[in-house]
Amino acid sequence: MKNRRKFNKKRQNSKYSKLNLFQRPDVKFFKPCPFSGKNAPVINYKNIKLLKKYISESGKILPSRITSVSLKKQKELSTSIKRARLLALL
Amino acid sequence: MNCYEHTFITKQDLQLSQAKTLVNKYKDIIKKNSGKVIKTEEWGLRNLSHVIKNNKKGFYFHIKLEGVGKTVKELEKAENIDEVLIRYLTVRVKKHDLEENFFGEKGSLENKQK
Repeated sequence: MKNRRKFNKKRQNSKYSKLNLFQRPDVKFFKPCPFSGKNAPVINYKNIKLLKKYISESGKILPSRITSVSLKKQKELSTSIKRARLLALL
Repeated sequence: MNCYEHTFITKQDLQLSQAKTLVNKYKDIIKKNSGKVIKTEEWGLRNLSHVIKNNKKGFYFHIKLEGVGKTVKELEKAENIDEVLIRYLTVRVKKHDLEENFFGEKGSLENKQK
């Protein structure tokens, strides 16, 4: 028990102790793309619930630098949003 | 043979018998032009997100079909003339997804009349 507690304490400290000017932090700051990777949702022009997350209040398509969608998936997303608009779903 | 998904919106004031003949009419056109109907869906009466040709609501019909380029061409040719239709869209897909239905059968014409 004693040993484990010690180990945990060490680990918590080490995560941020490195953080100075010349060393890169272990903590990741970027968001991964929500459509790539395992169990990712498939982009479809009929799935309005999903598409609504990626448009602004006034109905514009959000840029990928805000939503962190990859370039390939952003292309798919924009075409499917435009299809949904044509059918007056969005 | 290519896989296509075809959706069309009709005007709001549509009777059940009218809707059935309309869908059957387009099914016949598909079959005549070396096509094959795989599945039809009724999404029911929905509010349009913006006004199209002075319409605020519309009935949605969705057909999944297999066919060649000529099939779609003839289908859209017939739909261009039709006054009951508001809008249509044909999308080519790699494979038909027959399991997922985003809109359900709740709002279909037959269920409402019961």
